[in-house]
Amino acid sequence: MIEEIIQIVVLLIIIVTAIMAVSFKDLLAAVISLAATSLLLSLEFYILQAPDVAIAEAGIGAALTTAIFILAIKGTVREEEI
Amino acid sequence: MMSKIVRTITNILYSSILIFGFYIIMHGHLTPGGGFQGGAVVASGIALVLIAYGYDTAKDWIKKSNLSILESIGGLAFIGVAFLGIGTTFFYNFLANSGTLFGNPTVIGINPGDLNTAGVLPLMSWAVGLKVLAGLGSIILLMAYGIKKGDEK
Amino acid sequence: MKKYVALAALLVVSGFFLLSAIEMHSFGSPAEEDMDRYFIENAQEETSTNNVVTSIVFDYRGFDTLGEATVLFTAVVGVSLLFRRLRK
Repeated sequence: MIEEIIQIVVLLIIIVTAIMAVSFKDLLAAVISLAATSLLLSLEFYILQAPDVAIAEAGIGAALTTAIFILAIKGTVREEEI
Repeated sequence: MMSKIVRTITNILYSSILIFGFYIIMHGHLTPGGGFQGGAVVASGIALVLIAYGYDTAKDWIKKSNLSILESIGGLAFIGVAFLGIGTTFFYNFLANSGTLFGNPTVIGINPGDLNTAGVLPLMSWAVGLKVLAGLGSIILLMAYGIKKGDEK
Repeated sequence: MKKYVALAALLVVSGFFLLSAIEMHSFGSPAEEDMDRYFIENAQEETSTNNVVTSIVFDYRGFDTLGEATVLFTAVVGVSLLFRRLRK
């Protein structure tokens, strides 16, 4: 029972962070909320007893994708500043 | 180059992340994880250093040629270990229960496990781990290099 | 007009997802379980590995891992072609 409540809460926070990632105007904040989505998704995989997938998701989804996005944001300029 | 807070935290966390990644690769046949997951964790440590210190400082720590050599070694070792079992089939586990390297017999049932078991699986795990960490690390390094090159123009 | 097309597309796609979510098997009881039973009972003895997932990834389904390594190699080659050092 307590496990189902944790799952429902985690899935709701995943949906909220995904909507935040779409709706943020600041690109860095959007990337951070995408990383939060990936981290909570790996927590959900861990609750569903798939620790292998959880480690892969935390390593690639939360760390490497965020690093690539931050590098890309550092390499470009905002549209308003041109 | 990020702020001093990020650089200090990076100095503390970098070695721990690398050791955790190599632990996941090493214990792939006993605990959750394996070559791909451990390589991704090590590559995320490389990405942390690269983000925190910038390309110019970090490229002395992470040599691109070393990464390409590591990737080649990983791929060749994976194929080579798979070919060594060709007497029976491709990908045959010829070292399991043989008494030599990684050849101890395992205890059937739920037990904490012995590191010296599982035959060719740890070798393949190391090969895939080296390949993944070199591949993902060189992807991040090449992207940082390309962005720096775009800044200069 | 455009709004109604988007609404219809949203309804169709979410209907498909809801239908597949309702028709899903309950957690821990797959449709075909003969192969799972075989792996759970024999994997520890045959490959002398305590982690059955790793024994499937590197031993029973080794070709799958070989293809995965090939995909990763192709990705690295593509990125290094994009960001290569141009000679002048």
